[in-house]
Amino acid sequence: MLTFDKVSFAYPDAKETINQLSFHIEKGEMVSLIGSNGAGKSTISRLANGLLLPTAGKVYVDGADTQRTKTSAIAKKVGFLFQNPDRQICQNSVYDEIAFGLKVQGFSKEETDRRTKEVLETFSLKGDWFPFTRSRGERQRIALASVLVTKPELVILDEPTTGLDYRECIMIMDYLTQLNKTENVTVLMVSHDMELVQEYAKRVLVLTRGRLVGDGNTNAIMKDMSILSKANVIPAQIPTLALKFGDRFSDVYTIEEMVDAIKKEKQQGKGEVAS
Amino acid sequence: MNLLQYVPGDSFLHKLNPVTKLFAAFLYGVACIVTQSVWVEIVLIMLMLAISTLAGLQKRALHLAKNLFILGLFMFVLQLLFVRTGEPLLVYNNFCFFTTGGLSSALLLSFRIIGTMLPLMLLFAITQMNDLCSALVKCLHVPYKYAFIVTTAFRFVPLFTTEFHDIEDAQKARGVEYDTKNFFKKMSLIAPLFVPLLISSLKKVDSGAVSAELRGFHLRTVKSGYKEYPFGLQDGICAVCILCLIAGAAVL
Repeated sequence: MLTFDKVSFAYPDAKETINQLSFHIEKGEMVSLIGSNGAGKSTISRLANGLLLPTAGKVYVDGADTQRTKTSAIAKKVGFLFQNPDRQICQNSVYDEIAFGLKVQGFSKEETDRRTKEVLETFSLKGDWFPFTRSRGERQRIALASVLVTKPELVILDEPTTGLDYRECIMIMDYLTQLNKTENVTVLMVSHDMELVQEYAKRVLVLTRGRLVGDGNTNAIMKDMSILSKANVIPAQIPTLALKFGDRFSDVYTIEEMVDAIKKEKQQGKGEVAS
Repeated sequence: MNLLQYVPGDSFLHKLNPVTKLFAAFLYGVACIVTQSVWVEIVLIMLMLAISTLAGLQKRALHLAKNLFILGLFMFVLQLLFVRTGEPLLVYNNFCFFTTGGLSSALLLSFRIIGTMLPLMLLFAITQMNDLCSALVKCLHVPYKYAFIVTTAFRFVPLFTTEFHDIEDAQKARGVEYDTKNFFKKMSLIAPLFVPLLISSLKKVDSGAVSAELRGFHLRTVKSGYKEYPFGLQDGICAVCILCLIAGAAVL
């Protein structure tokens, strides 16, 4: 679905931000891109939908070279959720905002109306709301709804849960997971929140100063302290705790697994965890 | 390239008092306006490019001159077609396209635009807004509130430019085609962008005002700034040069 082939990128008057980066994301994968500030995460997400073009190498979206394809054509396949929903929202009602992407992409009036109403219901939004005066969480939901209404094959989320409370965050992530499972939508999520990455991503790409230092299964990456420290990333709490408890907890990654493992240890009366 | 951004440096121009820089830029513009000679305008532009090179800003000055040239060209065409003084220069089928007066007026005006704008851009490149604001308060006793308003307005321009590009990117990502050749379609696509820009600008201004108030903005007086802005020999030299330039421009 998305391929980076030896991609390099530099902003004007700046050093190279991305350096000879290569990776491939299959259709239906749920991938997270992690790394410290300035590692190039947002640049990669903008390269992936053609907003930025590589200075060297190629980016392919579903086989199409982004340098030879119009951004508007890429937008039909790639949905992009910005960190700040206020940059995205430009219409005076939630209905118009959600319908905007469909109108731009040339959908019929009936189809636009049908899809907009469907998404309004799914995201518990009201069409006549004035979007700019809603809460941050609601504005983020409006922005996500207006991205997903076009049914993109690849959804890129740049820090999707910034400024959201736990309930709103879970709601958005659960919806995306469901979409990933039922519609086989590919999700690329840029995030600082390691708990979120641990819980939702199946694969993690670790980035440091524009270079890929880790690429693999989320569980394996979360326990590889050498990779995480290279990227200045603080790992999720449960895998860190499991590492400290030793080999018997090597398969523990979630709260539920940790509770089960501790109960088991207690029943068997073993070691420091049981005491 | 952000033309309003300060470029750090250690040149003679950077070391001038901010008030001197402000007046020098203004008076350089006056010199460009008072002269009636196209050749003097060209000399003034060349001189300003040379001065920019001294401050290490040749690339920025050339970039700006190139952009101003486009504006100048537009004004040139308008003047050429509408000023009808002097002798006819191009006549076709008894219709006079332009005259000698139109040509000289068009040349003068287009060069004048470049000549007056260049020093202002150089001012922003060699002066930090905080210094300009403080110097206006310390040296000219302008009330801090007004000096702050002016300098903040300039400081916000690059911020809003970045914000506008980000908003434009967000809409491109939704499939909006801004590269359409149809002017009216392009305008209809750009118009909605001003809504998020206006909202974010108002939010920024509001939060900036609250933040300033919370840090005692209203308590600030002339004595509040610890940095002094004395006038030195170089300021005197600059003032003499600029006055000579105006005199020369008026005479020639």
